[in-house]
Amino acid sequence: MKWRGFVSLVSILILLVQPTAADETCMSPYMAKIVGQEDYVYIWTLGLEGVGDGEDKLVTVDVNPASDTYGTVIHSISMGGRNEAHHSGLTDDRRFLWASGLDTSKIFIFDIHSDPAAPRLHRTIDDFVEKTGGIVGPHTNYALPGRMLITGLSNNRDHGGRTGMAEYTNSGDFITSVWMPTDDNLQGATKSGNFADGYGYDARALPRRNVLVTSSFTGWNNYMMNLGKLMGDAEAMKRFGNTVVIWDLHARTPKKVLDVPGAPLEIRCAWGSRSNYCFTTTALTSKVWLIYEDDTGEWQAKAVADIGDASKIPLPVDISISADDNHLWVNTWNDGKVRLFDISDPFAPEQIMEEKIGEQVNMVSQSWDGDRVYFTSSLLANWDKTSGSSENDLQYFKLYKWDGKSLAPEFNLDFIELGLGAPHQMRFGAHALYGGGTAQSPSGLATPPAH
Amino acid sequence: MGAPHDHEPPVVLAPGYSPLAFVPPKTGSYSLPSMGLAADGEVLDSDGKRLRLHDVIGDKPTVLSFIFTSCDDVNGCPLATYVMRSVHDALESDSGTAGKARLVSFSFDPVFDTPEVIAAYGAQFRAQDADWQFLTTDGARNLDPILEAYGQWVIRDYDDAGNYRGTMSHILRVFLIDRDRQIRNIYSTSFLHADTVANDIRTLLLEENPPAAVFGL
Repeated sequence: MKWRGFVSLVSILILLVQPTAADETCMSPYMAKIVGQEDYVYIWTLGLEGVGDGEDKLVTVDVNPASDTYGTVIHSISMGGRNEAHHSGLTDDRRFLWASGLDTSKIFIFDIHSDPAAPRLHRTIDDFVEKTGGIVGPHTNYALPGRMLITGLSNNRDHGGRTGMAEYTNSGDFITSVWMPTDDNLQGATKSGNFADGYGYDARALPRRNVLVTSSFTGWNNYMMNLGKLMGDAEAMKRFGNTVVIWDLHARTPKKVLDVPGAPLEIRCAWGSRSNYCFTTTALTSKVWLIYEDDTGEWQAKAVADIGDASKIPLPVDISISADDNHLWVNTWNDGKVRLFDISDPFAPEQIMEEKIGEQVNMVSQSWDGDRVYFTSSLLANWDKTSGSSENDLQYFKLYKWDGKSLAPEFNLDFIELGLGAPHQMRFGAHALYGGGTAQSPSGLATPPAH
Repeated sequence: MGAPHDHEPPVVLAPGYSPLAFVPPKTGSYSLPSMGLAADGEVLDSDGKRLRLHDVIGDKPTVLSFIFTSCDDVNGCPLATYVMRSVHDALESDSGTAGKARLVSFSFDPVFDTPEVIAAYGAQFRAQDADWQFLTTDGARNLDPILEAYGQWVIRDYDDAGNYRGTMSHILRVFLIDRDRQIRNIYSTSFLHADTVANDIRTLLLEENPPAAVFGL
């Protein structure tokens, strides 16, 4: 086919290509996708004193209904200590899972492709603070093409909230770091309101708009403090983030600092080809915020909904956007509830459902088709509740089926009873991503499947 | 933004086929930090001559793409080839950049993509006199170390009897490599566009030849 003919064929195909299905909805747009049923959920779990070996661990749960071990823990690998296990993320090819610790700033890289049912530790990054020039508390592990973007929460100078982001190759070698814009160093960004605090938390990319969006939480001094003590410390409570930063994704330069007061946490961007917006929620002010590109091409932030009664401090934490951009699951840690918002009009979200999941609830992950919704409980070691009305509903991994109207419980794993700890970030795994379970060489030629 | 309930399903056609939907950062206004040394290995060119991969990278900015010629995924290898040709055309239209970059399309299917096959494939897309190399290998022994070094894992599809179906899956990655053989950017489907690749090449060229300082009197 000659070049001109190729161009004509592509023009036709643009009209004919059908959308594909994919897996959970909150991942990086650069990542490989799972089509169909996930086989495993990898749960990055915080070690608890007196629970099992007390160590942070990566727990693998079989979640394929066709499996004999469905709904059970089939593998666990302990880290030899506690790091404040928090978030994890997959490389773009989903061959490795990066899991980080907010206290030690270690990053553990797991090989999940050699045997998806039994991850193994591939490499440990233990010089993150040194390499990055002082970033502490690696939080989000986000896939970019051939590399990982790691957001920080703190710094090694004062352990406050000023922080930055770092990039590593997929194999775990440091590339570069950049600090969040501050009042005294905006780095060329426009400060649109009252704040330029330099805090960080989550990051999400919209490649077709060349935009990276980051949010802001608090520093090591606060997130490692006992929650009751923290809430009684008026000065400490002032040191929470109030910003969302819009970055030039390609250049990794900050363009605009938006005021989003009250600690905006997780960011989830819409998937639609003309949907130039993302959502976040504010932990301290209990609101849904829309971060959007207006008609002039400027990025703006607007509070668009309340989450529960803010005076009761429900504390919104993880959120999950549906694949069709019409729904947003919002967990509130303190009351243990999930709320579902209709966001088909992103400027006017409407709560349509709420359900109590446990004593506390943090993370929510859904399958791409939305039929399966998973929850875990742990937020931070020194913040998590240790008692409640139901002692066996404190630290759990739960699966619910969603039929579009109601959540039906499918299974519940009590992580304390199982001697595992406090479960946090979930990531999906599937044999189909790696050739259906048969190990192949890089070219797929040297080791054909055994029959 | 779209009216409520007027949402369309996610579109998967790669952005590289359409006009760039944003203004790229100004050439030279940003950095492209090194991601490490681009790996070497033994390859075959489209004449069947044995050479090293480092023989074709390291003397000018190079765009390296891993493909297989029988790929029918419009957002896979055809996208990479389309973008590579578009990059060539963009650079050649500017006398300041014409001839100053190289394209390399590297096949990871040595069974089908013999030197003859890739020569015929390249002839369809390579503009006359373009510095665009089409490479293959003689088999897994030389191919696997290269693929592993570049993080290119290919899943071949087999039927239940163990017969190869003729189809493969892989993550599309295109690499920008500088004169020191350092990887300076990696593009995947969502980010691969001729305008951004060409912009990055111009940024590398500017890095090598910064504008002369002007001293006021």
